[in-house]
Amino acid sequence: MSQSLRPYLTAVRYSLQAALNLTNFSSQEVERHNRPEVEVPNTSAELLLQPMHVSRNEHEQVLIEPSVNSVRVSIKVKQADEIEQILVHKFTRFLEQRAESFYVLRRVPIEGFSISFLITNKHTETMKTEKLVDFIIEFMEEVDKEISEMKLFLNARARFVAEAYLGEFVY
Amino acid sequence: MLHLRPENLLVQKTLTEAWNASESGSPLTLDRVISDFDYTTLHVSNSPDNKNVLWLSIKTKAWQSVSKCGDGFLEHLQSKYSGFSGIAPVGQPEQGYDYTLSVDLAQLQPDAIVQLSLLKIHMMSFAFQLAFHEFSLLSQQAQDPASFSGSNDTGTVRQLQYRDDENIFIKPSNDRITVIFETFFQDETDKVFGKVFLQEFVDARKRNRSIQSAPQVLFSHEPPLEAASVMTSRKADKNRRFITFVLFQRHFQTPELQFSSVCHLALFRNYFHYHIKCSKAYMHSRMRYRVDTFIKVLNRAKLDEKDDGDQTRRTITGRKLVY
Repeated sequence: MSQSLRPYLTAVRYSLQAALNLTNFSSQEVERHNRPEVEVPNTSAELLLQPMHVSRNEHEQVLIEPSVNSVRVSIKVKQADEIEQILVHKFTRFLEQRAESFYVLRRVPIEGFSISFLITNKHTETMKTEKLVDFIIEFMEEVDKEISEMKLFLNARARFVAEAYLGEFVY
Repeated sequence: MLHLRPENLLVQKTLTEAWNASESGSPLTLDRVISDFDYTTLHVSNSPDNKNVLWLSIKTKAWQSVSKCGDGFLEHLQSKYSGFSGIAPVGQPEQGYDYTLSVDLAQLQPDAIVQLSLLKIHMMSFAFQLAFHEFSLLSQQAQDPASFSGSNDTGTVRQLQYRDDENIFIKPSNDRITVIFETFFQDETDKVFGKVFLQEFVDARKRNRSIQSAPQVLFSHEPPLEAASVMTSRKADKNRRFITFVLFQRHFQTPELQFSSVCHLALFRNYFHYHIKCSKAYMHSRMRYRVDTFIKVLNRAKLDEKDDGDQTRRTITGRKLVY
């Protein structure tokens, strides 16, 4: 892990731990509704808490938006060039299509970010909060690794294929 | 499978089947449509009057443009099969196809089956053959100082329109033959992957000493000057890419080399796109694997119901006591 990645992840970890302090909260506006307050247009300011923005650089950022019964975590994955952009897009879309098995994954990322998670009080009641934070941190680590490995693979394959093709012309 | 073979395996298989059946005295009734790369369709069927004679018809996008390249196209195709007994072109091609060969199964040889499966390559090779021929004329002129004009830019450009919007341009000159592929990517992902692949094609020769003698590959967004004269009418599209192969004499010195060069060049686009698809497929399987590991990590977070087993009371038979 690089020198600047560790403090970044640590900051995200502590911010998440602080934010994941959720309680069951029925809607104040609609009777018998219980909805994630961070997701709905809200007139009561006391339900939303201060968003936390952790930023490593302009390409890698995390936005944590806590509310009384839900937390929305949005991650911006590093996209240095065209290839990484495509790979990140493909990868996050692939994950989002499988959002059911991820429980906490949001199907659509919020504007300006690559992928978003929505953790509600239901999740924190059925899962260990500590492990949920671990999951998000591990996800952030792995995604970067995966993207750069895929990019390396693509280049390696392209090189091999080109050399094999041109090798056929050597007599 | 790293390389794409120039011959069409399905044609080979069909003909071998038909041949075996015919040898054993019970000829097959065939009506098989076989597809090949670049919208090529081959049709194997019995001839109308004799079950022991097959018709092999081909329809391809490139036919029009290849026949426009020069005279003697049909003679060229015929010459490829004149060495084999029992294979002859049918005067009037089958309805909906460009060219039809009749194959007499009684006289068919295994070699001929291979040649028949190369029908598409043989067709494409005509334009290349003309270029090889023109090259030899031009290089002789260049040897002779009296008639040499001093310009290298003399050959005619032949255009092979092998897909709807994609062309191959072949331009001979006195010391080289330039083959330009015009290609474009419909898919945004293909475009980016294609860029990576093409860049490697360009760099491969510089990096690897063992393939120094391979043709030089160039890559550009603008039509190269060799092909610009025939390109002017078309509006420039920003998705267009041009890949130029520069062949020197060592790549087409003998008929065998000519044949293998043509095979590889004719399949360049297919090879290139095939590998783009392959890498996409690999990435997909990789993402699947990665999703599984993520789910495993997430499942670790789930509260285990068995954990509170100590508190629940059980009967002697192991049933949970509900109270």
